[in-house]
Amino acid sequence: MTITVKLVGGLIHTIGFSERVLDLPAGTTVAGLLEAIGIDPARPLIVGRSGWAIETDDEVRDGDRILVSPVFSGG
Amino acid sequence: MDGWTGQFLRVDLTTRTFRIETFSEEFANTWIGGRGFAVKILYDELAPGIDPLGPENKLIVAVGPISGIPAPNTGKTIVAAKSPATGGYGDGNLGTRVTDQLRKAGYDALIVEGRAERPTLLSIEDDRVEFLPADEVWGKGTMETNDWIYARYGKGVGVLNIGQGGENMVRFAVVRSLEGRSGGRPGMGAVMGSKLLKAIVVKGSRPIPQAFPVAMKELGRDDLREVHAMDKEMAWSTQGTTGVLPWCNEVAALPVHNFHGTHHPDAWQVDGERVNAARVATYGCPNCTMRCGIGILDDEGRESEVDYENIGLLGPNLDLYDLSQVAALNYLCDDYGLDAISAGGVLGFYADAIERGAVTGDLRFGDIAGMKRVLGLIARREGEIGNLLADGTREAARAFGHGSDAYAMQIKGLEISAYNCKFIPGMALAFGVSPIGAHHKESWIITFEVKQTTRGSYGRDKAQKIVDLQRIRGGLFESIVTCRFPWVELGWGVEHYPTYFNTITGKDWKLEDFWPISDRIYALMKLFWLREHPETDRSADFPPAAWFDPSNADTEGPIAGMILDREQYDGMLAHYYDIRGYDTRGVPTRATLEGLGLGAEAAAAEAFATLR
Repeated sequence: MTITVKLVGGLIHTIGFSERVLDLPAGTTVAGLLEAIGIDPARPLIVGRSGWAIETDDEVRDGDRILVSPVFSGG
Repeated sequence: MDGWTGQFLRVDLTTRTFRIETFSEEFANTWIGGRGFAVKILYDELAPGIDPLGPENKLIVAVGPISGIPAPNTGKTIVAAKSPATGGYGDGNLGTRVTDQLRKAGYDALIVEGRAERPTLLSIEDDRVEFLPADEVWGKGTMETNDWIYARYGKGVGVLNIGQGGENMVRFAVVRSLEGRSGGRPGMGAVMGSKLLKAIVVKGSRPIPQAFPVAMKELGRDDLREVHAMDKEMAWSTQGTTGVLPWCNEVAALPVHNFHGTHHPDAWQVDGERVNAARVATYGCPNCTMRCGIGILDDEGRESEVDYENIGLLGPNLDLYDLSQVAALNYLCDDYGLDAISAGGVLGFYADAIERGAVTGDLRFGDIAGMKRVLGLIARREGEIGNLLADGTREAARAFGHGSDAYAMQIKGLEISAYNCKFIPGMALAFGVSPIGAHHKESWIITFEVKQTTRGSYGRDKAQKIVDLQRIRGGLFESIVTCRFPWVELGWGVEHYPTYFNTITGKDWKLEDFWPISDRIYALMKLFWLREHPETDRSADFPPAAWFDPSNADTEGPIAGMILDREQYDGMLAHYYDIRGYDTRGVPTRATLEGLGLGAEAAAAEAFATLR
C-alpha cells in the first residue's frame, strides 16, 4: 500500500526529508511506519491522519496521508 | 531582599520628576514580579473609567526575580497598562536588554505617569533620570529610531520605543525593542504614544542581588548549554515558530481568508522550510538558547524578521502566499510599531466586510499593494477608513454594521492569534477566557487537544488543562518573567524554574507554591475587567459567531461539516468558571477573592460592581 508521510518542524532536518511517499506492506502500524523512516516509535510525537491523532499501534491504510510532528506546546 | 532590587522607579512625564520607591518582601512574595507587580500597581493606582489614552493611564515596565540572570531564555520584560484595545488590563512581554539593564540600574519596575509636553526620550542610568527631546525622530519608524538611539548610546543599553502606530495611538500598537522584538499586543505602544514617550533607554551598573550568585552562575551556565544542545538535537530553531504552520495547515487550524478557511494548498509556500531557506539573518533575545528570530528579505529587499503568528495572519489570512510579500507587510508592521497579529486581523476583516458588502472599498484579498496602502493609512490614522481601522476590528464592526461583528475575529477587543478554532473547542475556550483578550500566550491547548483528547469534545478535562496552562504560562512565566519556549518547544522541565527562583532568592519554594499566586494574578486581572465593565457577563468569554455558524463550516478537508457548538461551549465555559471559583458571569466570587488574599481588592471593586 502507498502512504504519504509529512514531517513537521525540526523533524524535517533531523530525519532528512519533508514529505515522502512510501510503499508499505498491508497491516503496517504507525510504529512500523516510524521505524521505516528512522524514528524511534517510543519518542514523544504527534501522529495524525487527516487532521486527527492516531496512536502508534493503529494500522495505517492505503492512501493515508500521515502527519508526524514533534510534541510542542504552542507559540 | 535577595532576588529583587526592592525598588520601583516612578517617573512623571508631566512634571518631569521622578522618585525611587521601595517595596516590601511581603509584596514581592505576594506578587513575585512582572505581570504580578503590574496588575497590582495598575489596579491600586488607576481610577476606574479613565481614558487608556489619557495622561491618567500608567505604563508599567516590569521584570521578575529571574529576569536577566544568565539562565535559559531569561531576557524578557513585561510592558503593561490599561489597554486601549480592550478597556481592561493589558500587557505583553518582549525580549530586550532592558531586562537586565533595569535590574542593574536598581529597579524591578518602572512606572511611567502623566504626559510629556513634547516628544520625549526617557533616559535612565542608575539613579540618574533625564527627559530628553525626541522631536528629531517623532514621526519616524522604529528602525530609524533604533539607529538614532544606537548612534547616541551604543548597543549596550536597553531600549524600548514606538513607531508611527504608537505615536498616532493605533489601539493595537506595540512596544518595540532594539533587538527587533515587539510586545504589548493590547495597545501598549499606543499608551506610550499617548504620553509623547518615543523611547526609553536604560543602563545600569550594579550587581543584581542574588542569594547564591556563584551557584546560580554555575547552574545557569550548565543549563544554558543543555538547552542549547537540546535545541541543536531537535533542530527546533532551524524553523523556529514558523515550523508550526504546516501542522496547522494539516490539522485544519490555519487562518485563511479572514478565518473562513482552515487550510490551503498553497500554504507550503510560506511555511518554515521556505522561511529557513530564505534566511539571511538570525536573531535572539538576551540569554537565548534557541534563537527563533529569522530574518528574510521582503519584496523590496528589506530584512524582515518573521514568525508563525505574523505569517499566519499577514499571509494565508489575507490570501497572500508569496513569502516576500508577507515579509513586506511584516516589515511595515515592525517599522510602524503595529502588532502584526492584529494588523492581519484588521486587514482581513476589512477585505471581508467589503467582499460581503457591509462597507464599500477597494481592498481585496490577495492585493499586496492594497494591503500595504491600507496598513499605512492605519499607522497614520489617515482618512476616515484609516482612522476607523486604527481602533481595531471590534470598533470597525460596530461602524460597519450589517452583522459584520459575526466575522470580526476578536475577543474582548483583541484580534485572535493565528489558530483557527472552527473545530478546536478547547483552544477556542483558551482564547475566550484569556483575561487580556484573544492572545495565545495564556494557554495553548491545541496539541494536547488533538493528541490526548477527542478533538471535538467539550469536557471538563479541557477546562482543567486550560487552567493548568494558564498557571504555568500566564502565571509562573509572566511573573518570574522568562521565555516559555524552552519548556514549550523543547520540553525543558518546568521544575527547573523554582530551582532558579530559589537560587536567586534564597527561598525554598516548590512548583505548587506558585499556583495560588498565579490564581491571584488571574483573579485580579478579572477584577480589573469587572471594575471597568460592571455589566459584564459570560458573553465576553465567547468567540465570534463565525465559529458557531454551520454555514461557515469547511466544505472539504479534515473538519468538513464541523463547527463549534454554542451550547456545549457554554458548558465547557461553566467548567472553567467552576474550577476557577468564578460566578456565572465569569467573575471571581467574593469567597474566591478572599481565599486568594484579595479581600481588600474585592471591597474596592464593590464600589463599582457587584460581587457574588
